[in-house]
Amino acid sequence: MDVNVLKSYIPLYNEALLLTVKIGVLGILTAFAIGLSGAAAIYFKIPVVSRVLKIYIELFRNTPLLVQLFFIYFALPKLGLRVSAELCGILGLGLIGGAYMIETMRSGLESIDKIQSESALSLGMTHGQVFWSIILPQAFSVSMPGIMANVIFLLKETSVFSTISLMDLMFTAKDLIGMYAKTIECLFLLVIYYLIMLLPVSILGSIIERRVRYAEFGN
Amino acid sequence: MKKNYLTKIGALLTTTTLAFASLAGCGTAKAESSGAASDATTVEDETPATTDAAEASEEKSDTVYRTLDEIKESGTINIGVFSDKSPFGYVDENGEYAGYDVYFAEKIGEDLGVDINYVSTEAANRIEYLQTGKVDIILANFTVTEERAQEVDFALPYMNVALGVVSPSDAVVESLDAVGADDQIIVISGTTAETYLEKNYPDIKLQKYDAYAEAKTAFENGNAVAWANDNTEVIAFSLENEGFTVGIPSLGDADTIAPAVTKGNESLLTWLNDEIETIGNDNFFHEDYEATLLDTYGKDYEDTLVVEGGKVQ
Amino acid sequence: MQSLGIDVLFKGTNMLRLLKGLWVSVEISLISVALSIVLGLIIGVLMTSKNSVMRFLLRVYLEIVRIMPQMVLLFIVYFGTTRVFGINISAELSAIIVFVFWGTAEMGDLVRGSIKSIPRIQYDSAYALGLNKFQVHFFIIFPQTIRRLIPLSINLVTRMIKTTSLVMMIGIVEVLKVAQQIIEANRKASPNAAFGVFAVVFFLYFIVCWPISRFAVKLEKRWALN
Repeated sequence: MDVNVLKSYIPLYNEALLLTVKIGVLGILTAFAIGLSGAAAIYFKIPVVSRVLKIYIELFRNTPLLVQLFFIYFALPKLGLRVSAELCGILGLGLIGGAYMIETMRSGLESIDKIQSESALSLGMTHGQVFWSIILPQAFSVSMPGIMANVIFLLKETSVFSTISLMDLMFTAKDLIGMYAKTIECLFLLVIYYLIMLLPVSILGSIIERRVRYAEFGN
Repeated sequence: MKKNYLTKIGALLTTTTLAFASLAGCGTAKAESSGAASDATTVEDETPATTDAAEASEEKSDTVYRTLDEIKESGTINIGVFSDKSPFGYVDENGEYAGYDVYFAEKIGEDLGVDINYVSTEAANRIEYLQTGKVDIILANFTVTEERAQEVDFALPYMNVALGVVSPSDAVVESLDAVGADDQIIVISGTTAETYLEKNYPDIKLQKYDAYAEAKTAFENGNAVAWANDNTEVIAFSLENEGFTVGIPSLGDADTIAPAVTKGNESLLTWLNDEIETIGNDNFFHEDYEATLLDTYGKDYEDTLVVEGGKVQ
Repeated sequence: MQSLGIDVLFKGTNMLRLLKGLWVSVEISLISVALSIVLGLIIGVLMTSKNSVMRFLLRVYLEIVRIMPQMVLLFIVYFGTTRVFGINISAELSAIIVFVFWGTAEMGDLVRGSIKSIPRIQYDSAYALGLNKFQVHFFIIFPQTIRRLIPLSINLVTRMIKTTSLVMMIGIVEVLKVAQQIIEANRKASPNAAFGVFAVVFFLYFIVCWPISRFAVKLEKRWALN
């Protein structure tokens, strides 16, 4: 392994890390928004919406992200719907992540005993108040480990973005290998950068998991 | 569980240490591959499958390539070709490999008296495939360059090539200096077009794809203002697809395309060179052109494209 | 549906090739899952061991698997091993190695989880009844663990099938690569093939994975009741 080669590649990897994190974060936020609203819709059994959501969940949980991205990026433009690579990445991550997040948050919501909302309602709170101040905070802490697992999963999945011309970490490594054939250096940096990106998240996940255990109600 | 995150930090430290150990291992790998091998295995994998593999490596010598005799003995040659680069290397609707490169590959198989195992390659993997011995020959529109010649051995050339740029007919790009700051140009990762543009036009934003099929679909879909690649390829694209014009037919140096083998594989290289010279006497590459490229290019390009017998005009 | 490019699939043996490509993916996943289950059972039991060094090492292993994208592992095994050790591993074998490496860790963690989830009292009662250690594990703990495990490992099958879409990156001609080849070979005749072919690939994956994951959910529900 050549240290000079490593040094000369580091700026490129930094750039790639930045892009990966940027798209990862935006995608995860989208997934989160879809997850929260979707889970609420299913929880309140909103007629048509919850059925559509269930189909969406099954479709996106049972197909690979890579195929979804190919479809959005290469196939949809044939119908006149063209999205930029970045938007496609965010959208793809948001959609697959949304499907997983809905499931995680829904089971969080359903884990809260019905008696809690009944008691709150009998105390004169509105349905909205019950949901926001009684159910959601508890459901959230119950779902937190699952959410963190999803976040790590989604950040890992960003590695397939390379196929739609996004210069993420994986792409940078592949591209450099293709141009200069310094395979070992490229793969080594790739591993290190994924560690830098994901280890803190994974550690954070464990800390949150611990906290949540203390916060669990009635256990 | 309380110590969960401490364990993770521990895991980080261990992984990093092990990674550095493997780094040291890599440095010595060439000198004494077996020692480094068993060290590094514990880092990457803990499954029995790889442990077996590591043991196997201790018995094997340093060379990754197969000599001419070894190939003949095994009865099969591995040739790396494109599977998505029509009309040079692609797979037809019956699942058969076809194209200009493949036509030549078939001839090699025939004259060596062995079966051919086609390995589908991407541009960026070509050097890698040779250096790791995953193929014996790369016949994937591989342009001869100095940088590449340091990594692999090229045989005699069989085609002329330069770079070219194709763009939609309603907004033809005729000069790279005219490319706007926000415009993107599509290139394929690991091609000469990529290296050339990176070097000479560092300000142009490149949109890079791994596979030809992906790049072309993206270009068709209008994701970029132009596509830069071998001029043979962009000319073919403009001829086959309506609404596209080659605004820059020739860019950079005039280069050649040649088969490549793993560095140091003398026996195979010599055989290939002899083969190219011999079949040149029968005008083999003209025949190849007529069989595979005529439909796309017509007669006009035959003499400019084909290099016969390894002799560039 | 001429304009959507689905017609391409009825030319020559295109559809058959696509299905064959899908089978390559399924085959790799099935082999990997089978191996992962066997190795995962062993690793899982080891994860509950009292030896703290062992537990720590397995923890590190699990963390690496959890953190590294499978694509990175594929590249390391496929390209890296030849570089470092000078051995040549075929793309298919590399894929299986990576999937087993990954699956074993996940399976091991599931096994550990389900062993831990069996209440202490079951061991105590079993011992109190005079069963020996082997009998306790084999007749009491194992059957319950397996029951909890089956739905989870079925899920692993679908996850693996989905992840096989990545093996295209190391040159295995599976369903996605075949799709690209078809699109490329018919670019002139049907310029919209990208839509039809990718849509079909999307549904092929769905048709394979969906029944499997429904089955897992059903088992989980049925066995959770009693």
